[in-house]
Amino acid sequence: MSSDRAQGDILELRGVSFSYGKEKALIDGLELGIGEGDFIGLLGANGSGKSTILKLLSGILKPSRGEVRLWGKHITALRNRDRAKLLSYLPQTLDMRVPFKVEELAAMGLYPYDTPPELTVEQALGTVGLSDKRGSMIANLSGGERRRAYIAMTLLQGAGIILLDEPLANLDIKFQMEIVRLLRELNSKRDISIVMALHDVNLAFQFDKIVLIKEGKVLGAGTPAEVLTEARLREAFDIDVSVHRLEEGTFITYGESRQL
Amino acid sequence: MTKRLFILILVVAAILVLALFAGPRPINPFHMNELEREIIFSVRFPRLIVAVLMGGSLGAAGTVLQGVLRNPLADPYILGLSSGAALGAGVAIVLGLTFLGVLTVPLMAFVGAILTGLLVGLMGWRRGGLWPERLLLAGIGVGFMLSAVLMLVMSISSNEGLRRAILWIFGDLGMSDWSLIPYGALLIVIGLIIALKHAKALNALMLGDDLSHSLGFSPRKETAMLFVSAGLLTAASVTLGGMVGFIGLLMPHIMRFFVGTDNRVLLPASVLGGGTLLVVADLIGRTVMIPSELPAGMITALLGAPYFLYLLRRRDVIG
Repeated sequence: MSSDRAQGDILELRGVSFSYGKEKALIDGLELGIGEGDFIGLLGANGSGKSTILKLLSGILKPSRGEVRLWGKHITALRNRDRAKLLSYLPQTLDMRVPFKVEELAAMGLYPYDTPPELTVEQALGTVGLSDKRGSMIANLSGGERRRAYIAMTLLQGAGIILLDEPLANLDIKFQMEIVRLLRELNSKRDISIVMALHDVNLAFQFDKIVLIKEGKVLGAGTPAEVLTEARLREAFDIDVSVHRLEEGTFITYGESRQL
Repeated sequence: MTKRLFILILVVAAILVLALFAGPRPINPFHMNELEREIIFSVRFPRLIVAVLMGGSLGAAGTVLQGVLRNPLADPYILGLSSGAALGAGVAIVLGLTFLGVLTVPLMAFVGAILTGLLVGLMGWRRGGLWPERLLLAGIGVGFMLSAVLMLVMSISSNEGLRRAILWIFGDLGMSDWSLIPYGALLIVIGLIIALKHAKALNALMLGDDLSHSLGFSPRKETAMLFVSAGLLTAASVTLGGMVGFIGLLMPHIMRFFVGTDNRVLLPASVLGGGTLLVVADLIGRTVMIPSELPAGMITALLGAPYFLYLLRRRDVIG
């Protein structure tokens, strides 16, 4: 691709600033790169700017300064349909009242194509484990199933990058793990780059790379072990935390409970 | 789905034929005298065409508006677009405007519908989004206001104008101007082509602006085009026979049961269903109180308003 592209990065924010209306800049001069096959967690407190960063990466929001590049090209220079084949985005709130069936919703992922790519609706529903629900209405699904139906749509879209805004919010632990496992599988088997926003620190260890955000700035980026230090977490979440590294894995406790 | 669609088409065809021969004076299609043939071809047939065109365009307009606004209560009548179109057409007639020839009246109706839509949208807009309750209240309020203005404009013009004002406000097909059929039909065809061309985008918009963007559409451009299509369809309908309410509200709900939600199928089905519903409403209006006729718009309101109230009561519809 373009030689202009930073090494390995297929989606980049370069010196991006953004503010809603006339408010003070929420994002100021942000640099962020996503490489092929990355599995990245965007971690930060509520209001830290995670959602805004994902919307900037997806091209939904336009930066007031700086640029967003997808495969080395200005994201706005791409036709909408062409961009949709490279990059997809799932918002945090998925309307539960949409009057579509599971298979109808999933098939919308094929909209950017005149000739559909190889993956079929059945295969996509099989991958997310919804084969037996293909005829069900979206409104009649559980939260986890609904999330998976939308992921099936994204899969059919065939993009190499999927951005997800808090896909685990308001889900039971069981469904949270189910979605993380599914995304991890898509990442390793199909080589899809995944970036997702999250605010649960303990889930952060599931990722290859964590980008810790506070007030629209990157506090740290790297492996969870590198980034998730007590000092950084304290700064990011404004709360007393302890990081416990045990044989079974690393986990984090807050406030009073820090004396384990 | 194909079986249901087939049954639907059969039912529609049967109703249309029935409507042609039933009425205050039932006619036997196999034994028609000269007068009866005259009634069928010069009176009932054009009236049937008007009803099919009007009802069909309102069904499509309702489908488009419910999708774009993600609001199952949206309808060109409830949102005030019909009143805006009627006022636009009324002003053109009273002032005798002819700057675009015979297309002046339908196009003024279109301008009225679009301006009303923008005004209602502006009033329903708050903190970066459309609020369903605000939008509906704004539509109903603006609709009342514009209808009152239309009455006023018509009253101070002439007796003939007053007659037409009543026609437009109650949607009486018996008084429609048949010479306008080709122009109304033209607007409807253009409106439908736009809607069908953007039917995939309409499906995507129903998932929300961000998801439709992710699927490769520009939500703003698509919304604008679909809004223009709803404006054209409403304007054509009002020009032909005045303001008929609730067909746009009812049809998408009824047709979703038969053909599902995919707008590529739902739009044509709503045209079919809307046309039929208005034919039936007109037939009822012509026959229940012989010798007097009830306006078709009154019948559709009697059928549709209770359903609107039912939807309003259902908690999952609003907010």
